[in-house]
Amino acid sequence: MAIETSNECMTVAHAQYLLQNGVDCRGVSDDPPQFQAGDRVRTKVMHPITYTRLPRYVRGKMGTIAKVNGVYVFPDTMGQRLATKPQYVYNVRFAAQELWGPDASPRDCLYIDLFDDHLDAT
Amino acid sequence: MAHTHRPESEIALRVKAIESLLVEKGIVDPTTLDTIIEAYEHQIGPHNGARIVAKAWVDAAYKQRLLADGTSAIAELGLTGFSSEHMVVVENTPQVHNLIVCTLCSCYPWAILGLPPTWYKSFAYRARAVIEPRKVLQEFGLVIPDEVEIRVWDSNADLRYLVLPERPQGTEGLSEAALAGLVTRNAMIGTVKVQPPEQPSTLAA
Repeated sequence: MAIETSNECMTVAHAQYLLQNGVDCRGVSDDPPQFQAGDRVRTKVMHPITYTRLPRYVRGKMGTIAKVNGVYVFPDTMGQRLATKPQYVYNVRFAAQELWGPDASPRDCLYIDLFDDHLDAT
Repeated sequence: MAHTHRPESEIALRVKAIESLLVEKGIVDPTTLDTIIEAYEHQIGPHNGARIVAKAWVDAAYKQRLLADGTSAIAELGLTGFSSEHMVVVENTPQVHNLIVCTLCSCYPWAILGLPPTWYKSFAYRARAVIEPRKVLQEFGLVIPDEVEIRVWDSNADLRYLVLPERPQGTEGLSEAALAGLVTRNAMIGTVKVQPPEQPSTLAA
């Protein structure tokens, strides 16, 4: 199902509303989250030719769920005007050395928000 | 020989041409465009973020709410808005330094900090902030000791991040408004610390 985008000219009132209230990107899901804070996860290795919010530098890496952020619409499919595919977004922590090797600081971490479809259980 | 007229850059001309076409075809209303430009030029900017930080420094209960649920605590001050719908506030401490980046594009809390600076959108910052944050911070004039943990936040989804900087020493007597005046945009991205009033930052630009 393709998502239709309005071609209507944005009015001043609509612009003011958007500036004030923004756009709510949250979605609704009846499913419980797949992961909880503290769970170890591995990011998927994938190379779609279409849009994705899973950056290459975190693909195939081991991380830990830092926080369950709730349900949001899925930009990977929204970006193609396909389904909104609402799913959980998790803040995932990676050790800098897991991403960049032993030359990175043993103390430093990278935190990134990833979607259910980006993650596998370990 | 002095030139009195500087030609507009190619990109500026291209934007102008696209804008004229969009207006001509009725896709964009120029009054709407002016409304948006006016808002970012005169109302929205880092002073909004500075208000949030200063309030958190003087009001412990507010700070707790801000760190637990940034979106709601920021809404209490009426500062919610476009590209700041889902906010997470991360606190700098003597043990932890936070740095914000968006490696994907240039996601940034517009309603809280205004439009992102050019360097924030550059390929160099976006690539290097995640790989070598300590080196990037050094180039901003900030040396983080080895024993301090650096947390880099890649805001590539729909949540937006704001750093709550450490309150500088020697500011105990300052009012909330005076404190807000010390808080710079870069301190809320995490590339510098907030300086006490006696030592103004040379890196505010």
